Amino acid sequence: MAAKNVTKPGRLGFALTVPSLVLVLALVILPLIYAVYISMTNFPLVGAYHFVGLANYTALAGNSQFLHAILLTVVYTAIVTGPIFVIGYGLAMLTRSNRRGSTVFRTLFFLPYIVGLTVESFIFYVELQPNSGAVNFALKELGLTNGATAWLVHTIPGMTAICLLVIWFGSGLTMVLLLGGMQGIPRELYEAAYIDGASRWRAELRVTLPLLRQSIALSLILSVIGSFLAFNQFQILTQGGPGTSTTPIVLWIYQVAFEQGLIGKATAGAMLLVVVVAIISAGQFLLLRDRDARAS
Amino acid sequence: MTNTLAPASARDRGASRAGSGRGPRSRPPGSREGRGGGRGLAYATAGILLSLVFVLPLAWALIQSFEPGSDIAAVPSAKDFGHLTFANYAGLFGHGNSIGHYVLNSFEVALGTALVTAIVALLAGYGFGRFRFRGQGVVFGVILVTLMIPFQAILTPLFLELNQVHLTNSLVGLALFYVTFNLPFGVFIMRNTFLQIPAELEDAAFVDGAGHWVMVTRVLRPLVLPGVATTVLYAFLFSWTEFLGSLTFITSQKSFTLPVELFNLEVGTYGQVNLGYLVAGAVIAMIPCVVLYVSLQRYYVQGLMSGSLKG
Repeated sequence: MAAKNVTKPGRLGFALTVPSLVLVLALVILPLIYAVYISMTNFPLVGAYHFVGLANYTALAGNSQFLHAILLTVVYTAIVTGPIFVIGYGLAMLTRSNRRGSTVFRTLFFLPYIVGLTVESFIFYVELQPNSGAVNFALKELGLTNGATAWLVHTIPGMTAICLLVIWFGSGLTMVLLLGGMQGIPRELYEAAYIDGASRWRAELRVTLPLLRQSIALSLILSVIGSFLAFNQFQILTQGGPGTSTTPIVLWIYQVAFEQGLIGKATAGAMLLVVVVAIISAGQFLLLRDRDARAS
Repeated sequence: MTNTLAPASARDRGASRAGSGRGPRSRPPGSREGRGGGRGLAYATAGILLSLVFVLPLAWALIQSFEPGSDIAAVPSAKDFGHLTFANYAGLFGHGNSIGHYVLNSFEVALGTALVTAIVALLAGYGFGRFRFRGQGVVFGVILVTLMIPFQAILTPLFLELNQVHLTNSLVGLALFYVTFNLPFGVFIMRNTFLQIPAELEDAAFVDGAGHWVMVTRVLRPLVLPGVATTVLYAFLFSWTEFLGSLTFITSQKSFTLPVELFNLEVGTYGQVNLGYLVAGAVIAMIPCVVLYVSLQRYYVQGLMSGSLKG
């Protein structure tokens, strides 16, 4: 960077972006292209391989484990997205005024998101143990169960535990994103609504919600993408079991590629994920551009 | 100036820091309530109860990490609080587990990732925010496209590629991978940071004969620092407990990161599972997150508000 402003500034500007560009080309764009190729071979973890065309893709269309992983991912996403949004919205409503303690409450509600699902999955693994775990102990004390539920070795209890964990983990993020939008709404709009005799709920429905569209869309998009890419909580809590009954798509990719060594097949499945997530992210992209344009 | 994605509140803060005041800060709705004891009581009750819901599991883990493994594996009783001990931590750090080694691995990777991301993003942000060059839009677009491509979906080619250049089983390789997937966010933040700084400030310094290096490190430092802090914070928190990439790219024990080592403890790779060790290990992983967040919360929320986010 010894180059002073006397040199051609345009060229220096480009040079400054080269490190970022190289990393992205090498570790995102190149793998992406490589993935398309791999998905058309019978690539094994070790040994020779050859081109098989679209055989991996056609085989996946009839692969029950793959289809089950997709179904599970979609169902899981459908289950957790609503509660995360509703609870996140409620938390935002509770803490949006600058009343005493609201900053502290916000910080505490957001804490699970900061600590992260990996660590929390380990903690819940311990607390979900039959008899000894805090969850079972609490349920027994409340007289709801006998406290011996083996949450993590059965499909429905396992999914229930994972969904509750993720709702607890993710609501704080929705809260923060919505708070950002709410603070941008001019106060006068509410005063006008109240003068017109609107009730609090009506003001919420007619003033807040419409003006919050962007924040709501962003939080839903991030929540859905996060659910589609779920891995940590499944691998740590149920390892996809019993059998493959709680195996979401990313865990399926991981297992097929690195445990069964069928890299070509796994990559073909992964391409579907690339396409789906890219389409959803495109929505996020448009939102950002929208805001960018409006702010300038 | 102003080419920011931040909503009003965050933008106001950024702008006032950049030395140019910007309309009055809009008050959030709902401040109308607040009067009336009944409402205040309901607010406080709801807030405190919900705080318990969100914090209790984490606080409980902290307490449990001081209980012997045998107590954790048995039905809980009040007596458990009678014999709290450092035994789990002592056992984890002691010979046989040497958790310190894996904590250090994770810390090196996270710190390296955070610093390299910040530097690379700072350079690119300066390039995008302060220069005009041909193909600028294309280069920016290519970097931002990474936001749309989840690393989870290109794990297989990434593994083969890193393996080819001997960067699997390497903490450097892992950090490079983390840097790349934290870059779009960092570049985005840094570009906006530079766009918010009034150009007159630089013009004056250039007239005084300052070069670009002096410009960024001395003149603009106070204005650039918040963006750098945000980038560092996100990159560190992301890589500190990242699990899937680490599990995939690191297969030799000496390079395991903390989450992978905890996973081995959980599935009993080393024999019988000690739940006490697992809880204590999770608490160790939790501490830097909580400390960083509580001390740098301002930067974290600012990052979120800029509308973009790690996948």
